[in-house]
Amino acid sequence: MSRAHTRTAPTIPLATILAWIAFALVMLVTLFPVYWVLRTALSDHKEIYVQTAVLWPVGFTLDNFKRVLGMFTAEQSVAMGGTATGINFWLYLRNSIIVSTFLVAGQTFFSAMSAYAFARLRFPGRDQLFFLYLTAMMIPGVVTLIPNFILIRDLKWLDTFQGIMAPGFLMTPFTVFFLRQFFLGINHELEEAATLDGASIPMIFWRVALPLSIPALSTLAILQFIATWNDYLWPFLVGKNEAVRVLTVALAIFQSQTPQGAPDWGGLMAGTALSLVPTLVIFLVFGRRAVNAIQFTGFR
Amino acid sequence: MTTHRQPRLAARREALYAWAFVAPSLIGFLVFFAVPSVRGLLMSFTNWDLLRPAKFVGVANYVRLLGDADFRHALKVTAYYVLMNIPIQTTLALGIAVMMDKFSKSTIIRGILVLPWLLPNIVVALIWLWLLDPTMGFLNQIIMGLGFQRQPFLGSTDQAMPTIAAINIWRHAGYTAILLYAGLQTIPKEIYEAAAIDGANERQMFFGITIPLLRPVLVFVLVTTIIGSFQIFDTIAITTKGGPVDATRVVYWYIYEYAFVRFKMGYATTISVALFVILITITFIQMRYFNANSSDLD
Amino acid sequence: MRSRINALALALSIAASMLLVACGGAAAPAAEPTTAPEAAAATEAPAATADPAADAVTIRYGLWDGNQQPAYEACAAAFTKDNPGITVKVEQAGWGDYWNGVQTGMVSDTAPDVFTNHLAKYPEFASKEQLVDLKPFIDRDGVDTKQYLAGLADLWGRDGKTYGLPKDWDTIAVVYNQDMLDKAGVTVDELNNADWNAKDGGSFGQIIKKLTLDANGKNALDADFDKTTVVQYGFIPGGSGGAYGQTQWSHWAVSNGFKFNDGLYATKYYYDDPKLAETIQWYANLNLVDGVAPTLADVKSLGANALFTGGKGALTTDGSWMIGAYTKDTKFKVGFARLPKGPEGRKSMFNGLADSIWVGSKHQEESWQWLKFASSPACENIVGSYGVVFPAVQSGVDAALAAYKAKGLDVSAFTAQATEANGTFLFPVTDHASEIGPIMDALMDSIMLGEKTAVDGLKEGNDQVNALFQ
Repeated sequence: MSRAHTRTAPTIPLATILAWIAFALVMLVTLFPVYWVLRTALSDHKEIYVQTAVLWPVGFTLDNFKRVLGMFTAEQSVAMGGTATGINFWLYLRNSIIVSTFLVAGQTFFSAMSAYAFARLRFPGRDQLFFLYLTAMMIPGVVTLIPNFILIRDLKWLDTFQGIMAPGFLMTPFTVFFLRQFFLGINHELEEAATLDGASIPMIFWRVALPLSIPALSTLAILQFIATWNDYLWPFLVGKNEAVRVLTVALAIFQSQTPQGAPDWGGLMAGTALSLVPTLVIFLVFGRRAVNAIQFTGFR
Repeated sequence: MTTHRQPRLAARREALYAWAFVAPSLIGFLVFFAVPSVRGLLMSFTNWDLLRPAKFVGVANYVRLLGDADFRHALKVTAYYVLMNIPIQTTLALGIAVMMDKFSKSTIIRGILVLPWLLPNIVVALIWLWLLDPTMGFLNQIIMGLGFQRQPFLGSTDQAMPTIAAINIWRHAGYTAILLYAGLQTIPKEIYEAAAIDGANERQMFFGITIPLLRPVLVFVLVTTIIGSFQIFDTIAITTKGGPVDATRVVYWYIYEYAFVRFKMGYATTISVALFVILITITFIQMRYFNANSSDLD
Repeated sequence: MRSRINALALALSIAASMLLVACGGAAAPAAEPTTAPEAAAATEAPAATADPAADAVTIRYGLWDGNQQPAYEACAAAFTKDNPGITVKVEQAGWGDYWNGVQTGMVSDTAPDVFTNHLAKYPEFASKEQLVDLKPFIDRDGVDTKQYLAGLADLWGRDGKTYGLPKDWDTIAVVYNQDMLDKAGVTVDELNNADWNAKDGGSFGQIIKKLTLDANGKNALDADFDKTTVVQYGFIPGGSGGAYGQTQWSHWAVSNGFKFNDGLYATKYYYDDPKLAETIQWYANLNLVDGVAPTLADVKSLGANALFTGGKGALTTDGSWMIGAYTKDTKFKVGFARLPKGPEGRKSMFNGLADSIWVGSKHQEESWQWLKFASSPACENIVGSYGVVFPAVQSGVDAALAAYKAKGLDVSAFTAQATEANGTFLFPVTDHASEIGPIMDALMDSIMLGEKTAVDGLKEGNDQVNALFQ
């Protein structure tokens, strides 16, 4: 999509140069903090506090990573200025993966089912019910946060995976809305043909509608995966226990451990860097699709 | 007869299937959205502390809310944040989107721009907490290197809220830019060409064509970012915990503090109900004012 | 438009019907304090000692001080050796998370069986019926509560019930950087004999100024001292101190004649006392006016301890549990001096921690066995031998002193304070602590930042705090 007019219109070179500089600056500001995480994580713990203005890692070492990954004993960690209770990284990574994967799978599937019904099937109360869903989109999370916490407690689901996943497992108003818009937009013809062939509604949904909507479903799944992966307050409230603790919660807890009166920045940044890896992998693998996914939400 | 009957039967079957399809999401909706909302509303009429039995206190919490200077302060702080955050972020994002549109459509650049948005709020907060540390933060080293006094940033009542706004702008500007960029792609280039033939300059085209035609996307961006920024919490939970003093005690933090520090669930839910009312009002006004669904293209 | 009205009507009717449902449901949280039966059971006289070998039981034990974790793990091992059927799992979390975990744990039925309790926290747990009354157990097993240092056990009782057995105690002393003293020509003797008042800081105030250096090497007593270029602070405040100022200002304030309240479970605080106001103003002015102390922002970002060990300042005040943090790996010699003599003498807050049993514990008898052991000389001697904290029994204190001595540390400034007549005052124990905290935190911060005067800020805080007791 090149736009001819920008080339034909008289452009002042200086403005273009300035714009390029501004653009480069935006990139730099965007990337630098992430680089700084790596730089700190790769620096010697003691040097971090002394040589604060050096751009590259000071006293290059992998100790911070090793410490976070539990490759040192508690005594060694403490001697290095860390906490005895490090980040049990692999466990929290596994937990984050479990929670995000299952939650998103359930959420996408069940949302797709109901979105299909809202988009394609006629039933009494359809529009009213959908309007209710839309209203729920406006409810700030904090209104339902406390009652949901109580509910999970009463179900004895605190500190369990199902407790963390429950509220979003069957739907979120947004996912239903998103997919309904999508189903409204796709072509009826294949479904009609299947109906004439005598296929039942579930069969059409399963054999025709779902395969057609794989792009939309995976787009949505990526977005929701990232959102779930990044979620903090809810898993913090209901899943603090080690066994189900996810990465975001673990990082926050690690930060509040202040072994020397201040956080263990070297270890914290190493943990932060590691926690970015899965998101970055997803992004590299699904890069184009993820960017498109974001763009797609602009038109919901 | 049969011709009349069959469609009705089919319709009934269709409705049956439809309800079966909707059932899981309806359960999720009722259990985790609808009932909790109502339960929250009911809780706001009690003095519940989570451990002891709740007592019905009528509208006492609401009466207290009306006279609560700290709540008014929290609203003020939140509004201050939103008013700082939204205009700067949106303008910046628009600028980036236009630049992308003109200079580069590379996926890599778009990827870099959304990178901050991919990071958890927690991580973003930690990164900046470290960069902005009053004594050892890199930013202060630069400031001192340039011969200025180092700044407390998150440690001062004046700078804390603008700093938090800046952190969130960093996280969201690129993401917002991508949304706006996508919006720019939908504007037919013929319109620009026609305008160029009529002798319009870049500036006139920007304000005469781009902005009006971008309106649906802009409205969407504004509605979601405003709602989102009213609910700022994670960044504050990690960096300032509402402080220094009460400079960053936004409504969301205030609710959290009452619910999970002071364990006054009744009052905490009262504040959340108030926040809900405020948000729904703002959304409604926005939708009305911007007439969201129509662009000037229609 | 019409469909919208219909939808709204439907929404309202659904909401109304859910309201009815939820009304029934809302009683649920109220009617089921899941722990109530246990609480009732706990107040009855406990049954005879369970057969320890009957079934393997694991007790979860919570503490927040990571430095003490190894010591208590050693205790736990010794305990299991004597009680083969009971293992103790020591769980540690940083202060903030620890309390959040204990509190939400009580709500969610996942709190530790036995946990380290704090004087600012236990009254609320007790009033919410979350703690097991230990009195029947103590009477049954004949535990001698006189074995603890004077006053410690009494802090944990209310209305004839006992909610904890003491495990350790702490006092406050001055921490100094020996190198900086030497360079400024200040002797430890001078420091130990310093006096203090809220008007001008007394001779201690002079020492602070002498120890503050600007970029030109001039100290704060010099007329040419430039407070914008300070490279070495004379004093590092430990923060604003919030409601109690335990390591920050309580010793100054009380030695100036201030008292928090009228004793255990008082229902009125005296934060508006002018004696407190002038103390706090002096404390805040160290930074705001004199420039001899770092800003609150600096202290908050790193902590006084890190600033001190980083060589940013010469003096600070801190609690005895921090001895290790100041002396380990520090590049210069660190010492501990007595608090200066105020108008009312030397005063340190005397704070004691204790272990409590949560009512929700499924193994209250075993929990009691562990708690009894943890607060007995057997365990406290082990803890003492790690030299991280002063245990609540004298033999444990002796073990700790020996351990500190072996590390080459003189910690007599802390112990002398504890044994001196009228040398200590107790941590203020009252209800509403979880609400007093946020109120006073914010106000103390605003005074330290110079946004409010101490007089105004404390008056405001006092009104808000005392309103809680109405």
